[in-house]
Amino acid sequence: MQWMASAMHAARSQLETATHNLANVSSDGYRRAASSVALTDRGLVASEHGTFEQGAIRHTGRELDFAILGEGQFRVGKDMTRNGAFVTDRNGFVTDDRGRKLIGATGPIQLTAGTTVAADGAVLREGCIVNRIALPSGTKLQSGALEASNVNAVGETLEILTAQRAFETAQKVLVAIDDTRQKAVNDVVRLK
Amino acid sequence: MNRAMFAAASGMAAQQTNLEVIADNLANADVAGFKGAVASFADVNAGGSLGLGTTPTGRHAIFAQGKLMKSGGPFDIAIDGAGFFSVEKGGKTAYTRAGAFSRAADGSLQNADGWKLSGIAIPVDALGATVEKDGRVFIDTATKTHLAAGRIELASFPAPEHLRSLGGTLFAATRDSGSSQRFAPGGDGHPTIEFGMLEKSNVSIVESMMQILTAQRAYEANAKGVQAADEMLRIANNLHRS
Repeated sequence: MQWMASAMHAARSQLETATHNLANVSSDGYRRAASSVALTDRGLVASEHGTFEQGAIRHTGRELDFAILGEGQFRVGKDMTRNGAFVTDRNGFVTDDRGRKLIGATGPIQLTAGTTVAADGAVLREGCIVNRIALPSGTKLQSGALEASNVNAVGETLEILTAQRAFETAQKVLVAIDDTRQKAVNDVVRLK
Repeated sequence: MNRAMFAAASGMAAQQTNLEVIADNLANADVAGFKGAVASFADVNAGGSLGLGTTPTGRHAIFAQGKLMKSGGPFDIAIDGAGFFSVEKGGKTAYTRAGAFSRAADGSLQNADGWKLSGIAIPVDALGATVEKDGRVFIDTATKTHLAAGRIELASFPAPEHLRSLGGTLFAATRDSGSSQRFAPGGDGHPTIEFGMLEKSNVSIVESMMQILTAQRAYEANAKGVQAADEMLRIANNLHRS
């Protein structure tokens, strides 16, 4: 009986992961969480882990939009993100939508007059590299484009259906076990 | 289940916002000087991997250059490059890329809503006027030709993406956008003023239609998530039978 309850819990976690992914189908740079269910001595346990599939590259033409091709993340303030939609603030600092400053190899990236960000992430002032968007080696940067969320709506809908059916099955089994016990209890009483 | 339901509902709300922005872009696709906007979203995480859906993180205009087209208006001007016309009405200043102006009785250049182009006044006896690429305005009168009548200056901002939209093609400065810097057009690599032209909106209808389809499907998928969560609650309720 506990096992079936654990199966229902696992199905619920699966559903939560899938709906969270679906909700973020339009969040640029978002990477879907994958849920997997494993059989342990405590019954079925669902766990969540990140995925690293590249999201689709969407051309925007904006100068401060960057898509990461490969591994790595942008450092914004204290956080990391794959969302490369940046703007400048009134002091010329490059920030993301939430106002967190983009941190380069030598500190926050600031664009003053005559400073530009090259397509490879180098920050140039009068031809000299003064800062750089820090990324692991081998990772390429594409400017004028954004990495779309790597959530696939079809796959997540399938996950939802799977979770729903698993939940239903577990419930049916639970009810069946309950029926059996009920019968056992009633019959034993009658035998006496 | 509730977490799943609210996550899916947040997704539906996000697509609704997305659709509103796209619809606004489409509605203004034929408005000269209009700048399309985008809404952006990010995931909500309660620490660790506890996913709570999505939230809108902002909406900002895309200031990409629109195509310039020849127009028939007597005072149509367009900016080729970055920058804004600064316009005034009732003591307020706003900024716009829409350059369809006409001459008012007091000599000022106004757009259809009565916003006056800052710093320019056309003398009443002027028969015709032209604007050079560097913004200088020249007029012809009955007796003289090529008389200088001021210069159109443009405004730029340290952070134009933080300008506040006043609806239509008008924008207002905010604390985050920084204050406007006035500059003269023309010169090396600077934006120029094109006389007798208007800047079309930078909204691509094809792209917007595609965005609508995507948003609609995403909305549907999220609605399925809400349904599934609801269905599972129903199943759970059926556990206890009398």
